[in-house]
Amino acid sequence: MNNTAPILIFFTSIVIVLAVLMALRAELTRGRGGKILAFVTLAVLPVLAVWAGVHEQLERSTSTKFCLSCHVMHDFGQSLSLDDKAYIPAVHYQNNFVPRDHACFTCHTDYTMFGDYRAKWRGMHHVWVEYFGKIPQPADIKLYTPYNNRECLHCHAGARKYEEASSHHKNPDMLARAASGKLSCLTADCHDSVHDVANLKDNTFWKGPN
Amino acid sequence: MAANSIERRIRWSGLIIALGLIVQSLTLFWTHPLSFMAFLLIGCPLVAAGLLLYLYSLVSHHHPPGTEAESSR
Repeated sequence: MNNTAPILIFFTSIVIVLAVLMALRAELTRGRGGKILAFVTLAVLPVLAVWAGVHEQLERSTSTKFCLSCHVMHDFGQSLSLDDKAYIPAVHYQNNFVPRDHACFTCHTDYTMFGDYRAKWRGMHHVWVEYFGKIPQPADIKLYTPYNNRECLHCHAGARKYEEASSHHKNPDMLARAASGKLSCLTADCHDSVHDVANLKDNTFWKGPN
Repeated sequence: MAANSIERRIRWSGLIIALGLIVQSLTLFWTHPLSFMAFLLIGCPLVAAGLLLYLYSLVSHHHPPGTEAESSR
């Protein structure tokens, strides 16, 4: 529970009390004051409470804890703690290149106008599969589409370390091809160690900052 | 008779909205996809239904001219 949740729960509780009061004393609406009270209690405040609730729930659904709460995601969560600098997700997670509490969402949401909502829609499908469908083995889980460089370049484009890295100048047009998506960042022999959940058992793990 | 009908709808509206908001409050205690789904598929529709019922109660009854002003005093 984050800092805003107790405030939201408190506010929602007040609206609940008012709504119940309106239900028990509906005759109050016979007067003008009662009509205004009913409008505020049964229309304005519930809309505000739900709007705040939607915001809170959407914010929570971007958290690492939320993504890893499905059993099938356990190995992917564990791969964030791999003690190997070649593993892209692990090095991002352990060095705070992405916020740890929003690690999955940072790299797996399209940075486009409807990226968030597309991710939510897919997430709802994942919940359905988790409880009512055939759950695949973690190693069989693949991306819907090839990983888009846009998600990497959202942070790395323009960064000195990225622009000046010698490995990014093996070919003169390498950065341009990466920017246009013709060359994937995850190409073999580049940054190809990503969530290798099939081989987790053979690795050591970072114990965490504390 | 008509007033009773409106009040009955307002009564139900209040109860349904309260129920939806209770569901919403409960989902805030648990960060989990199921909690998200409960909020989206149970809490929100209940509040929306209560709100629509309340709005329907407003437009469903036609007051004869003059009666509204008298009842408000």
